[in-house]
Amino acid sequence: MPALRNKNCNYISNKEIKITFDGKSYSAYEGDTIASALLRNNIRLIGRSFKYHRPRGIYTCGIEEPNALVQILNEHNEPNTRATVKRAYEGININSQNRWPSLSFDIGSINNILSPIFSAGFYYKTFMGPKGFWKKIYEPLIRRTAGLGKPPKNFRSKSIHQNHNVDILIVGGGLSGLIAARKLINTDNEVLIVEQDSFLGGILKNSNKIKKIDGKNVFEWIQETEKLILKSKNIKILKNTLVTTYNFTNHLIALEDKYVGKNIDINKSELTLHKIRTTQTILANGHIERFISFRNNDLPGVMLASSFEKYIERYGVVPDEKPVIFTNNSSTISLVKSLINLNCKPCAYIDSRKKKDIEDETKEYLSKNNIPFYPESEVEGCEGNKKVEKVYIRNINNKILSISASMLCPSGGFNPDIHLFTQSKGLVKWDDKIISFKPDTAFQKTITLGSVSGNYEFKNLCNEINKKLSFLKANDLNIDIETNIRDDFSINELWETKTDKMSKWSKSFIDLHNDVTTKDLKQAINEGYDRIEHLKRYTTNSMGTDQGKISSINSLGIVSKILNKKIAEVGTTTYRPPYAPLSFAAIAGRSTYEYYDPERKTPIHNWHIKNNAVFEDVGQWKRPWYFKKNDSETMHQAVQRESKQTRQTAGILDGSTLGKIEIKGKDALEFMNLIYTNAFTKMKPMTSRYALMLGEDGMIMDDGIICKINDKHFIATTTSSGAPKVLSHMEEFLQTEWPHLQVYLNSITEQFTTFNISGPKAREIISKVFTDIDFSNEKFPFMTFKSFNYKNTQARIMRASFTGELGYEIYISPKHALHLWEQIFHYGKEFNLVPYGTETMHLLRAEKGYVVISQETDGTVTPLDLNFNWMIGKKKKDFIGKRSLTRSDTAREDRKQLVGIVPIDKSQFIEEGQHVLERENLPSKIKTPIEYLGHISSSYHSPNLNHCISMAMIKSGNKLKGKKLFVSTPKGTKNIAVEIVSPVFIDPENKRLVS
Amino acid sequence: MILIHCPYCGEREQSEFTNGGEAHVIRPKNPEALSDKEWGQYVFYRSNPKGIFHERWVHTHGCKKWFNAVRDTSTDTILKIYKLTDNRPEISEFKSPLKSPSGEPAVGSGNFAVKK
Repeated sequence: MPALRNKNCNYISNKEIKITFDGKSYSAYEGDTIASALLRNNIRLIGRSFKYHRPRGIYTCGIEEPNALVQILNEHNEPNTRATVKRAYEGININSQNRWPSLSFDIGSINNILSPIFSAGFYYKTFMGPKGFWKKIYEPLIRRTAGLGKPPKNFRSKSIHQNHNVDILIVGGGLSGLIAARKLINTDNEVLIVEQDSFLGGILKNSNKIKKIDGKNVFEWIQETEKLILKSKNIKILKNTLVTTYNFTNHLIALEDKYVGKNIDINKSELTLHKIRTTQTILANGHIERFISFRNNDLPGVMLASSFEKYIERYGVVPDEKPVIFTNNSSTISLVKSLINLNCKPCAYIDSRKKKDIEDETKEYLSKNNIPFYPESEVEGCEGNKKVEKVYIRNINNKILSISASMLCPSGGFNPDIHLFTQSKGLVKWDDKIISFKPDTAFQKTITLGSVSGNYEFKNLCNEINKKLSFLKANDLNIDIETNIRDDFSINELWETKTDKMSKWSKSFIDLHNDVTTKDLKQAINEGYDRIEHLKRYTTNSMGTDQGKISSINSLGIVSKILNKKIAEVGTTTYRPPYAPLSFAAIAGRSTYEYYDPERKTPIHNWHIKNNAVFEDVGQWKRPWYFKKNDSETMHQAVQRESKQTRQTAGILDGSTLGKIEIKGKDALEFMNLIYTNAFTKMKPMTSRYALMLGEDGMIMDDGIICKINDKHFIATTTSSGAPKVLSHMEEFLQTEWPHLQVYLNSITEQFTTFNISGPKAREIISKVFTDIDFSNEKFPFMTFKSFNYKNTQARIMRASFTGELGYEIYISPKHALHLWEQIFHYGKEFNLVPYGTETMHLLRAEKGYVVISQETDGTVTPLDLNFNWMIGKKKKDFIGKRSLTRSDTAREDRKQLVGIVPIDKSQFIEEGQHVLERENLPSKIKTPIEYLGHISSSYHSPNLNHCISMAMIKSGNKLKGKKLFVSTPKGTKNIAVEIVSPVFIDPENKRLVS
Repeated sequence: MILIHCPYCGEREQSEFTNGGEAHVIRPKNPEALSDKEWGQYVFYRSNPKGIFHERWVHTHGCKKWFNAVRDTSTDTILKIYKLTDNRPEISEFKSPLKSPSGEPAVGSGNFAVKK
């Protein structure tokens, strides 16, 4: 038989829907949450707990839920969904979590019997050894048995981000939020109200506490207020939106679920992340009821009293007609009234307060309705098979009575929901009247209204709001609130009840989500974790996805009792965003997969694809790594072929990614002399030079070729990934140190496509392409360049080389680039011109001993370490980094220096990154660090020399040339014997380069 | 994320800017005349106070201009923004010290969420 329905509920439609839970179909109403739908069908067992696999049910009716997490099988297999928040819809398919093989028979529940080993800090104690067990046995085992739902598969987020700039943000569209909004209607302030539910009203709709407001019934008043707001010019409402984060400078983040109560359309965005900037934040986000720890306070059937009331009033379902109510405060009587209104009757009302403190109205009402009343009593515990069956009451005379009941509704008082307030860095203080923390000093422009400020009394509410918002100069409102219960809040302190019975199965929980018991807290304190932040981490208390919303203050209460301190002295743990779990998909928004980072492609990209290029990422660029001649060719074969062919005839590289910066202006020469190490004053126009850029610490930052057009005009190239860094480095010094220099900089990387053609036949090929230009060695010597007109665009050819062969660099407009590239291949065919990629580029330059910045260098290498003394303009008075080159540390002779390395046995191969050592063998067990001289920075198999060539940075490398040393290998203790040589392996006389 | 008022473009999100460390560290006019220690002081040493700090910013994803700011590092509040050509504002100009978040002490950090 379905649970009793409250037909007076205005928020649930009469339309029936079908839902599936653990494979069985149930009927519910449109507007139900998964939890209210299941309660409607009398389902109370809904999942298994995290650690002990204990049966768990629905504990609350909102975002604070610690137990009822489910997996939604349609919707990307979404795990860990709060059943108390997620709205059901026709066809929704829900599974319970963390159970195997089934919810009612779960093998993992053996953990409950084994619980002594799972107590506080068990990760730290139990799994200490033996070595290797953690990775192979413990961790996989724990991951399988502990935990939550299964991650989604094949999931692609479609969420979007939206920005708001408003004058006032009201967090929470409950009673206080609505009164504040009514005050602000048609004022000059732009206002945004954010409400997590799909209906406004907060406590007005969630409870039976308020009878009339402004003389109207509450539903009418909410509707009237919403109409007034929607009609106003200045207030907007966001429903189904939860504020999760409160950052500095009144920047808040809220998540909107756009598919509440509907099946997700996978083609549309399902979530919107709202980024809200506001001048003034009004927090009216209310309070959260807390529980009480007692024996087996986790049994399905235990549900917080105000949540029970919310199911009746907000969702129109009465979870149980005869619950036991257990309270330590004055608020719970409204639940009794809700039940009596529906001809239901609690089977006991247990109040832990002193008889004299309990309101006369409460006593009278209970006796009038013949409800068994236990003042000054507690619930000792409850028992039952996967549900509450018996409740044990310790009465005023310390006698234990047992009564039969199937639900038990505890209320341990209310905590102002200070989470967002403390995220904003506001200070909180302890209030003895409400026995909780409440906001004290705001750090930002933040105002708290209503119960979040610790004001639980409705008669004061209007005054409070008028007073706190008086600075806005809006008219004072006078709203009359008539309540169903006595308005003054009274509570006594009760965190955990005394228990008599002890059994292995019985536990008194403090954190339901993470399965932390009150015993764990005591044990942790005994073991020395008496600081609240340590205690939290050691026990994992309040570290679940509910962040201990119903229990964290209780744990402070228990700890303070053990330590014999005041709760205010114990302090709270730090509240950190997000307030509630926030999907990573929402944070990522559209920045995923190919939209995560821009991809930069050269104008030749499609040609590369057609010619079987395999690409490599260089910064944001896609560069050909090597070209596959056929499907069976390996990378090694391709690189060897490309390298050999280039040295035999000619090869061509798409060098468009090279950074290019134009430097112009009256003082360009002076600027270049300051920013690069080289001397540019005596350099002839229309020549070029290899140049180094240092940081002020003397370390190499970047390199490139500088073309001097004249003293007022230079073009610098940079490494492909270093271009933005170099440009901003130049800009920084121009603006901050040398504002008197008249120089301007311009990035022209993408304005010029660049090809590097090199090899002995390069001249013959290029002469056929550009017939007007004289490429003879006399007319076009090494390190010069020519500018010319190509199809009415500016073009430039420079004689330079990064391979050690005769080489030309062509700079051409991207518009004509592909055509020209194909032209070159047309004329290059007879010479077997080969396209090559970055790997061959690296191999060829290594044969010639050219360094690659960030391969040989790592930010700790000076030009002197690379024997680049010739590149330093020693006669220049100053340049960036010059003074650092004579610091005692940089002038040391035993710094790591660049050397070449070849294996003595030419068949052996040296791996990059290996250590260079003086010893032939490594000990089989390494106990103390092994001394090493340096590391291999580059290593290739040279097809032209037919053995391995390496470059290394080693201590006092310059003095070690000709010596025999050893290089470690990835496996084994035997090192490779090597000879230290000059890093130039091919053509040391530069014959190929300059002829 | 804080908002920064670029003196050339106006108020923008922090993500458009890059912090450039301490301001008013002037590059020595004649580096060769300095001892290793003096030069090292310029290259490697920067102050990092808790409280009022003169620092540099550049509007990287905007006008690319450098400018200076006075920021209270304990609260992340920007107290003043000024151009490179403007004079360095004295610390005494900002005497009214802002309360720091969670009432932290003047030196050090830590969790002092509940001070009272």
